[in-house]
Amino acid sequence: ENATAKARFNGTSPLREEGLPSCSWQQASGVAPKVIQNYVYSRPPPWSDTLPTIFIITPTYTRPVQKAELTRLANTFLHVQNLHWVVVEDSPRRTNLVSNLLEKAGLNFTHLNVESPQSLKMNGSRIPSHKPRGTLQRNLGLHWLRDSFNKTQPPEGVVYFADDDNTYSLELFEEMRYTRRVSVWPVAFAGGLRYESPIVSPAGKVVGWKVVFDPNRPFAIDMAGFAVSIRLILERPQATFKLEGIKGGYQESSLLKDLVTMDGLEPKAANCTKVLVWHTRTERPMLGNEGKHGFSDLRMEV
Amino acid sequence: MKVKLKNVFVVYFLVSVIGLMYALLQLGQPCDCSQHLRSASDLMHGKDKKISQLLSEVKRLQVRGKGPELEGQALPIIYAITPTYARLVQKAELVRMSQTFLHVKNFHWIVVEDSPVKTQLVSELLAQSGLRFTHLHTETPKEQKLKESDPNWLKPRGVEQRNLALQWLRENRELSEEGVVYFADDDNTYSLHLFDEIRSTKRVSVWPVGLVGGLRFERPLVEKGRVVGFYTAWKPNRPFPMDMAGFAIALQLLLANREARFDMLAERGYLESSLLQSLVSIEELEPRADNCTKVLVWHTRSEKPKMKQEELLQKQGLGSDPSIEV
Repeated sequence: ENATAKARFNGTSPLREEGLPSCSWQQASGVAPKVIQNYVYSRPPPWSDTLPTIFIITPTYTRPVQKAELTRLANTFLHVQNLHWVVVEDSPRRTNLVSNLLEKAGLNFTHLNVESPQSLKMNGSRIPSHKPRGTLQRNLGLHWLRDSFNKTQPPEGVVYFADDDNTYSLELFEEMRYTRRVSVWPVAFAGGLRYESPIVSPAGKVVGWKVVFDPNRPFAIDMAGFAVSIRLILERPQATFKLEGIKGGYQESSLLKDLVTMDGLEPKAANCTKVLVWHTRTERPMLGNEGKHGFSDLRMEV
Repeated sequence: MKVKLKNVFVVYFLVSVIGLMYALLQLGQPCDCSQHLRSASDLMHGKDKKISQLLSEVKRLQVRGKGPELEGQALPIIYAITPTYARLVQKAELVRMSQTFLHVKNFHWIVVEDSPVKTQLVSELLAQSGLRFTHLHTETPKEQKLKESDPNWLKPRGVEQRNLALQWLRENRELSEEGVVYFADDDNTYSLHLFDEIRSTKRVSVWPVGLVGGLRFERPLVEKGRVVGFYTAWKPNRPFPMDMAGFAIALQLLLANREARFDMLAERGYLESSLLQSLVSIEELEPRADNCTKVLVWHTRSEKPKMKQEELLQKQGLGSDPSIEV
């Protein structure tokens, strides 16, 4: 039941256009479809041909809480219609943990991977807070989008960079869905504040940033605080997140400056007066009792 | 020629017989019914489509508890008891919990605030969640409350709140109603599969919990389908060395044992045992999650968000707008 149901979704998804690369998990053409015996616990709402697609790009890396984070993200995304999840692992190979999770989740997804060089890598013990993280992975997600869709006939849709430890309300996705160029909204717990927010004039235009940390950034906004229309991403193929010479807090600007100017931004969430996304972070679990040589059975996936 | 009545009858008889033979010969011959078939099949496809649309609509409504129950009228209700308290990440935690719970059929969320009143934040969140819920509140007495600077393990947390929820169930539910009670703290992470395991509980069921007790996971040890011990590194000699997230109790068991509750004065780590030891013995525990070999729930904790800039602004009287709820 699951294999055919999935096929029905993908049959109407924009990725089934002629000659375009399909999702990484699909079989090469000419091979009989794989019968998936795993039980899928829930289904997203049926795909609609008229609703713009929300492409979510999530960079992720292996650490103890990874499966938990991706699980609760999947539980959230299963409520959103026309959502396509692009998960990019910071890894030399796609891991079984993520592959199996994505297969069982029931979502439309694309599974990619690219390993960050050692200097940028997220390491369990050393967390360089000022080095940009997930950059290569997000760029690969953008690259996949540009490869998969035709610039002259872009699908209706929007791209959102959703890190795997944040919290997203369902309302947020409906706010971003109809983005024409770049839309913005407040983000809780960013920049050492209860929330950071764009400043919106009575005329409904973004005129500044209600932030304390470096308000002179071209776009003083967190990764979770904006979304870009697919059309714009495809129109500007040179717009990517920059890797070199990016100060802390400037990653978002390194992408946005090639896409839009401040007065072109579309404020959402009731003219940026509602908080619909929280920059939560999950504590690193204390695994002291594992000891030097491990205690728990490594065959059990956590 | 004169027309005799006899001849008329003979002719009539012959014509009928020929007609009958013709009809009999026609039986079993292929005929071109494709047009009929096509329109019938179109009709069926139309109805199928309508049915699947209606089914998905019903499914959505079912989960929200508003529509008719197509299946699972006998599905035991899962009561999730969540103690909660006001702090910065509270709304985020409850929002993502509700997103998980919305997928679970026959689900009833009992949220108990550690508060003298029902707060607007939680009231509105529950009202908009689409879930069936009960909203309670009780304030932990000051001596038992943690101070800001205390480590989180110093005093037992959520005890009064969970006990109040148990009391509510005892006052509002009958022995005849099938249900299962699960203690779902607001910062853990729950997979959807977990709720199937919870639902089949007859007395007390147990399963592994990830990222707890200083280990990748703690779990009951199972032999021949029975729990024979516990795999844990921290205080393994407790009567039930398990985390709150690692077990569920049949509603009927709690209703039949009206005195069973959490002990506020229990030593650190003994909270779960203080409830379970009056309800069940280790031999009676029902192992779930593939004989306790799968991790379906994780004891995640959220970091306290850094408020350095907020605090600086507050000192200058320029703090963020408190009317914008976070």
